[in-house]
Amino acid sequence: MKVELYNYIRAAQKMSRRQMLKGTAALGAAAMIPKAAMADGHSNVRAEILKIPGVGAGSPTDSDWQKVGEMCLGATRENVAEGEFEGVELTFMGLNNQNLHNFLFRGFLKPWEAYTGAKINWIDLAQADYNARLQQSIATGTVDFDIIEMGAPFEGDVLGKGLASEMPDWVKDQIDMDDYVDYLKAPVGTWDGKTYRVSIDGDCHSFAYRKDYFGEGGIGGAEVPTTWQEINQVSKDLIGKEDPLTGLPAHGYLDPLKGWGGFGFYFLENRASAYAKHPNSPAWLFEPETMKPMVNNPAWVQAIQDVMDLIEAGAYPTDQINADPGTTAFQQFLAGTGSMLMWWGDVGSSARTSDTSVVGDVVGFGVNPASDRVYNAQTSAWEETRNEAPNMAYIGWGVYVMATVEGDEKKKKAAWSAAAHLGGKDLSLWASAYPSGFQPYRNSHFQFEEWEEAGYDRAYVEDYLGSNADSYNHPNAAIEPRIPGIFQYYSVAEDELAKGYAGQYGSAQETADAIAAAWEKITDQIGRDSQIAVYKASLGM
Amino acid sequence: MSSEGDLLHTVTADDISDGRKRLGKAMVWGSATLVAVLALWQMAFETGRVAAGFDTWRPILYAYILWAIALCAAQVIVNGEKGKRTLFVLPAALFVISLVVFPLLFALYISFTDWNLASPNGPQPNGWDNMREMWNDGFYWNALKNMMYYVLAVSVEYVIAFGLALLLNAQIRARKFFRVVFLLPLMLSPVAVSWMIGKSMLEVRFGPISRVIREFGGEPSFFGTPEIARFMIMAMDAWTFIPFMMIMLLAGLQALPKEILEASRVDGASGWQSFKEVIFPLMLPVSVTAVVIRIIFKLKLADIIINVTSGGPGGATDSVTSFIFREYRDRSNVGYGTLLAMVYLVLIVIFITLLLKLVSRWMERPA
Repeated sequence: MKVELYNYIRAAQKMSRRQMLKGTAALGAAAMIPKAAMADGHSNVRAEILKIPGVGAGSPTDSDWQKVGEMCLGATRENVAEGEFEGVELTFMGLNNQNLHNFLFRGFLKPWEAYTGAKINWIDLAQADYNARLQQSIATGTVDFDIIEMGAPFEGDVLGKGLASEMPDWVKDQIDMDDYVDYLKAPVGTWDGKTYRVSIDGDCHSFAYRKDYFGEGGIGGAEVPTTWQEINQVSKDLIGKEDPLTGLPAHGYLDPLKGWGGFGFYFLENRASAYAKHPNSPAWLFEPETMKPMVNNPAWVQAIQDVMDLIEAGAYPTDQINADPGTTAFQQFLAGTGSMLMWWGDVGSSARTSDTSVVGDVVGFGVNPASDRVYNAQTSAWEETRNEAPNMAYIGWGVYVMATVEGDEKKKKAAWSAAAHLGGKDLSLWASAYPSGFQPYRNSHFQFEEWEEAGYDRAYVEDYLGSNADSYNHPNAAIEPRIPGIFQYYSVAEDELAKGYAGQYGSAQETADAIAAAWEKITDQIGRDSQIAVYKASLGM
Repeated sequence: MSSEGDLLHTVTADDISDGRKRLGKAMVWGSATLVAVLALWQMAFETGRVAAGFDTWRPILYAYILWAIALCAAQVIVNGEKGKRTLFVLPAALFVISLVVFPLLFALYISFTDWNLASPNGPQPNGWDNMREMWNDGFYWNALKNMMYYVLAVSVEYVIAFGLALLLNAQIRARKFFRVVFLLPLMLSPVAVSWMIGKSMLEVRFGPISRVIREFGGEPSFFGTPEIARFMIMAMDAWTFIPFMMIMLLAGLQALPKEILEASRVDGASGWQSFKEVIFPLMLPVSVTAVVIRIIFKLKLADIIINVTSGGPGGATDSVTSFIFREYRDRSNVGYGTLLAMVYLVLIVIFITLLLKLVSRWMERPA
């Protein structure tokens, strides 16, 4: 769970002494359960770990992570004998964001190390250094880690180059991959039909809107817009009206018009996915046979045109040309400017937990808006049917074992056992319920009664997580292409879009053509044939 | 003992035998040959011409270190006492060569390859392709054009800095206090300035400056149009670095000979006349130094732009460095990015050389 969300719930629920004592008693009882009993009593484990340290009992610490790691060792015990990995040393590369990620992994894996006898060395990286460190390791052939925490967009760079180790079948059984939400199932995490990824996180963009703009007498209309056509119309209609909350000018949808190191392109994708992601094909960014960019086809041009129309109409707040996604979410939407936004789960959690948010009581969530029509790239024609395609932006973090362990069966089994422990079904429930930096990503994480029993406010959890669950399991979810250099494509597109939005190109088509030309150059530079191969592999074609 | 040459600094007699000299030379040439042979061998191995070779280039580095040590030792073996004097400087010189010249040569090689970190093929030489791409790259030329604007802004900064230096040089109240206060912006990191001013005070909705403008009925927009955005970047950069020029000019002012100023006053010169005819001409060498250093700083302008506008709107505030940063960090385009940096380096060297030539006539102190 995101830290902000946890803090909010902790503050909002104002734990009573009785509740606290209940949690403490449960914890005490859990500590007294013999290890064997814990392993056997699997059904109890989920309920018991959710009481560590107990909702509202302060942020979990290293000793809590270790306790959870210890209690979730049951699956490891079934596959690994005690002391089996004596003498094995592994290196784990991951992030140190917000003192989470690797910090949790250390705690979770400490009991695993004690049980198996293996030793883990850690490479902690800041998010900003991560991409460069990974790319340099790959490019210079200096992969000095055995296990890596990595986002799926990099799978093209790593799996496509054969740098990772294929997941053994016993790991698949241990982590129960069938429980993953639909979009995290193959082809995500797989390459050429082989599985590589232990998922530990889920990611998607979902729709956030201001309830006070919509409904009977609302300035935005009676109904919340559900299509991009409606969103653009509402945004234009709101020009000149007054925000019901702040008294400042009212605004509709907030598009970030400034780049964000490549991440800004996801936000044009939100609009484009509804037009461009036809249910008949998983491809919506490149043509799989040629790697010819689709970004200048009528669907994408329409998405760019929608943004340009709103610029032309003056529907955005002042200086929107200088607003990146960080601005639209945290300085605009959460602070009461604008009424509609697409973002990751952070907005959902921060809306009610951040001190600077004023929209906590009036925010609602939904899936990525649809379109009244969809472009069929195979027939090169628009189809007048409603199309919905949630954008699975970034796909979430996973744990991968590198090919450095190949050739040493003991080391390989140790690495996979560590990865499986971190991506275990029970442990992941704890990680999705407490501050960890990870979102729920298994169907079993959406059993709201478990959350309720653990002491959470069910209505809130259901409202916020529900939109995520709907997006994750959507049959037409737009999945990111996991090809090498994907962020290069996004970054150069941001530069060209910035020019287009500033009026330096004659039209949306010209802007899209410039992006396509730049993408062609990148494809040629990285190698067209290899890109085609990895693109098709990443789409499972 | 030799009776010729620099006798003043010679403390011992050096009677070096021919054998010793030969040994020294053999050490240097032997180790140099080792480096060359290993490097050529490894190159042949990497290009597939020979079957056996090292996994990494590290052994060649060790050979280079061996050569460096042999070279230092040979100075003493061959030249005796004189060699010891060389030894004071030689290790440092070798260190600089290792850390500047080698990387520069490597960068030169990289800049003529198509190295993209995401490419499975690694760096492949691609001739003049990068140069041709640069020639047709609208973003690079746009950034160079912006750099011209940014550099021109130095002239305004100079006038303001000179004015402030004159003020602080005058007998005003709380002079020391103001000197410290005026220096404060220089002590701030440009990144802090970007956030404190660009992203906080100038924030359109909450920023205090925006609020004041709104109070007066205006609609604030600091980075919405190309001209205003560029001006705001210039202003933030100027605010940070004017104190630097000011402090240099102030030092110059304080070093001016008092007699000349007093003489001009005795001759009946007004304040403006003594500034125009005496102070300004005398300050020219300092001024030129301050302006040139400031221009060099300005040519590296990137941090404020990256943080505040990312080069926008539509590239209006992009600097060459911020553009190269995007090519490198966001696009892992190492080959092309390096070429852009190398070309920029050459442009800067040419520009600064011409500038210094142009102003050299003013550098002479008036007789």
